[in-house]
Amino acid sequence: MSGNITVRTMARSPFVLVVGAVLTWFIAAFLVWPNVNILLATFFPDGSFSGRAAEKLFSSQRAMKALGNSFLLAVALSVTVNLVGVFIVLVTHYFRIRGSRILFLGYASTFIYGGIVLAAGYKFIYGDKGIVTSLLVRLFPAMDPGWFSGFFAVLVVMTFATTTNHMLFVANALKGIDYQTIEAARNLGASTWTILRRIVLPMLKPTLFAVTILSFLTGLGALSAPQVLGGRDFQTITPMILTFTNSPTSRDLAALLAVILGLATMLMLAVMSRLEKGGTYFSVSKVSSELQKQDITHRGANLAVHAVAYLLFAIYTLPVVLIVLYSFADGAAIQTGQLSLANLTLDNYVRVLTQQSGLRPFIVSVVYSALAAVIAVAGLLFVSRLLQKYKNWVASAFEYLLHIPWILPSALLALGLIVSYDHPNPLVGGAVLTGTTVILLIAFVTVKIPFTLRMLKASFAAVNSSLEEAAAIMGAKTLYVFRRILLPLVLPAAAAITALNFNSLLDDYDTAIFLAHPLVQPLGLVIKANTDGAEGTEGIANTFVYTVLLMVITGVTMYLVYGRSGRQRNRKRLPAAPPRSPVPGTALPAAQAPGEDDATRPAAAVR
Amino acid sequence: MRKLQTLVAAAVAATLLAGCGGASTPPASTGEASGAPAGASGDTLVVYTNSNGEGRGDWLAAKAAEAGFKIEIVGAGGADATNKLIAEKNNPIADVAFGLNNMYFSQVKNEGALEAYQPAWAGEVDKGLGDGETYWPLVKQAILLGYNSDKISKDAAPKDWTDLWTKDEFKSRYERVTGLGTATAQLVFAGILSRYRDDSGDLGISDDGWKQVEQYFKNGSPAVAKTDLFARIASGEVDMGQMPSSIIADREKSFKVNVDTVIPSVGVPLAVEQIALVKGTKKKEQAQKFIDWFGSAEVQGEFAQKFNAMPVNKGAQAKANPEVVDFFAGLKQQDIDWGFVQKNMGAWVEKIELEYMT
Repeated sequence: MSGNITVRTMARSPFVLVVGAVLTWFIAAFLVWPNVNILLATFFPDGSFSGRAAEKLFSSQRAMKALGNSFLLAVALSVTVNLVGVFIVLVTHYFRIRGSRILFLGYASTFIYGGIVLAAGYKFIYGDKGIVTSLLVRLFPAMDPGWFSGFFAVLVVMTFATTTNHMLFVANALKGIDYQTIEAARNLGASTWTILRRIVLPMLKPTLFAVTILSFLTGLGALSAPQVLGGRDFQTITPMILTFTNSPTSRDLAALLAVILGLATMLMLAVMSRLEKGGTYFSVSKVSSELQKQDITHRGANLAVHAVAYLLFAIYTLPVVLIVLYSFADGAAIQTGQLSLANLTLDNYVRVLTQQSGLRPFIVSVVYSALAAVIAVAGLLFVSRLLQKYKNWVASAFEYLLHIPWILPSALLALGLIVSYDHPNPLVGGAVLTGTTVILLIAFVTVKIPFTLRMLKASFAAVNSSLEEAAAIMGAKTLYVFRRILLPLVLPAAAAITALNFNSLLDDYDTAIFLAHPLVQPLGLVIKANTDGAEGTEGIANTFVYTVLLMVITGVTMYLVYGRSGRQRNRKRLPAAPPRSPVPGTALPAAQAPGEDDATRPAAAVR
Repeated sequence: MRKLQTLVAAAVAATLLAGCGGASTPPASTGEASGAPAGASGDTLVVYTNSNGEGRGDWLAAKAAEAGFKIEIVGAGGADATNKLIAEKNNPIADVAFGLNNMYFSQVKNEGALEAYQPAWAGEVDKGLGDGETYWPLVKQAILLGYNSDKISKDAAPKDWTDLWTKDEFKSRYERVTGLGTATAQLVFAGILSRYRDDSGDLGISDDGWKQVEQYFKNGSPAVAKTDLFARIASGEVDMGQMPSSIIADREKSFKVNVDTVIPSVGVPLAVEQIALVKGTKKKEQAQKFIDWFGSAEVQGEFAQKFNAMPVNKGAQAKANPEVVDFFAGLKQQDIDWGFVQKNMGAWVEKIELEYMT
């Protein structure tokens, strides 16, 4: 099998050599060198190592407690996000549920927003002055209005906020499962539950492992949900890291904390890679067929699943509705939680959109984010393919190096780039990068590498290598195989990754504040200037307006990139579905253009 | 359906293109990786500031354009702007920086990122408020303890910060900070800790001083992210907390509360926003002219009038809001040894974050 190809064999392929050379340069110039520079400057301030940081941190009760909380949250999230995530994926893509298209839209609301506003949205509903809380207190007067706070609240909010990766990637992997195996199991008398547990979930493993790592990382880096809902007892370590990063005399503490979190992430990555090893995650049948939705035959179970699905739908959509409503209210009303329909005006939008800078920051951000998202995904398509194919020590070393951006906070990455490239540097052909428009693009690409790599690698793992072997036997060249066989198979995942990268970079502040060209300032800086804590009532209203505007942009992106390909697949599948029970949610217009997307896709696609 | 999708896509693309066209007046502006260095942006002055919010940035850019200056404002929080100026010292991008207080500017100066310059208006300001050499004062801010005056009478109000945690009636009725990243919070602690200076104590502060910090955190109600102190006062969650003088009038109106401020017998700490020339600027002459213009009595007066600020320039005070000028005239300034504070603030913040914040 391909798993045991040695370094020597690997070095014989010119494709590998070219990709390897570019990759080595990129890693050396933008991942290793800047970060080594900044870490040296922090840990060896006067040329000699100081153990001060460790001593200070480990003797601080607050730091240790916050660190513990971050780890607790990371572990808990790895479990809860998987539970909720797999459930919503099954409900929308595997079981036949009434109104699954509507449910999908509700669950997909996390694609388009997050951060502090999301936490605030949940607070409007379940917080001490929230709608649901007021209702409950009226029903049960003995109830504590502050029930929704602390670890429980943070876990709930972050669980529902971070199922995006499941909805995109696990769902995508699910669609690639060969329906014939399921039919075969059914004919052998397997129950719905057995099929799910023994056939469906095992096939999803590479993707589930990848999204578990992401959930773990999200938990470790939790910032806004604990700040808004954690209360006194559940604060995490990230706010402290940010404060210390900003203070030159305490930067070593920030770096040490970040390295601790980074090492934990790497450990998690190592465990997951080990678990993933050796499995076969693609269909081995020669002619595989598309997945069909399953009925839940047990009446009680069917009712229960429907009930839970619609309850989750309500949980997911309520905050979005309120955020949109509140974006029309004035800042004082938002902060005191008093919403009345009479007070909703367009003032906030007028104020934000008639600033002198106008639409310009939006355009700058769209261009930067799009470039960075496309470059990261395009470059890593080659890299992740090679890492997936060749499993030896060189490949592992590269893989771990590419995760460096996950270890350090983005402010430190940015500072590292500045100190390394504020003078002519041979690594980049003697150019000075600070003060140019390129340096921010480099940083944007770099910070998106680990996520892109993880998700792409997982989707390559689900590709049947026999397709590729067959093509190679028939004389196809490496690049041809890559372009015509592999690329179409991972394209849906790649498109989704690009969209997510794009969305997450749109409002970036941490990197842009240090690296943006003064004449080409992205949106994040403008948002910050208009929403900072000390900006009073307008500031908070502006936060909501920007969130809604970003929702519109990211919503359009997701629709263009993901919604379209989703529809095409649906259309293709429709004729194959048994005609007896037309499902209202999936009943798309039958105006189908046959074969419109088949030209680029191999017959009997195995996704 | 398909047609609709294509239409949407086309519309989006068209909007983006149109937007790009409209915005592409300066050469390197479409955000493409053109690699043009900052110097290529012609005679535009790059101005770093933390004082661009609430329309100040737009106002300044427009005024400067009228006076013949082409400026580009880069806004960042105080700490971010400071770190940026220091990180870029080998190849500076900014030409001028303003709005940072003396604590921030002294850090930048110590790293050698500022160039000495004596503005034309140097004689119109109190030199002691800046360093008399590289950074020069523009606007004064008092860092105050304010309380809900509808609820608490002047006699029943606290007389000093220390009352908050020593008198039972104020415990958990005051908001305390949850981070020391902001300039206001740092100045509050500069004001409290300075009183307990003891060169044999930890970081120059006596044990008694650190005890005050401990009590401050133990007895206060932690600030809530994205909820203004005034919103919490309005809803009755707390009655008092720290506030810079310039925001009070505006917030009282928005949240419909009345706030009175405490003037302790030792006085109140003042934050003084400054302006300075960045070392290594390629547009030195232009930058100096801009500093001369912006700090002048006329411009400062207009700025003060528009944004309810307290200008340092004596000639500008006539134009400022008389209430503000009166308030500052009767205000006792706390005597703080800024050299001592600047030397220790980083270590203080670290100690407080690690040991006292709960």
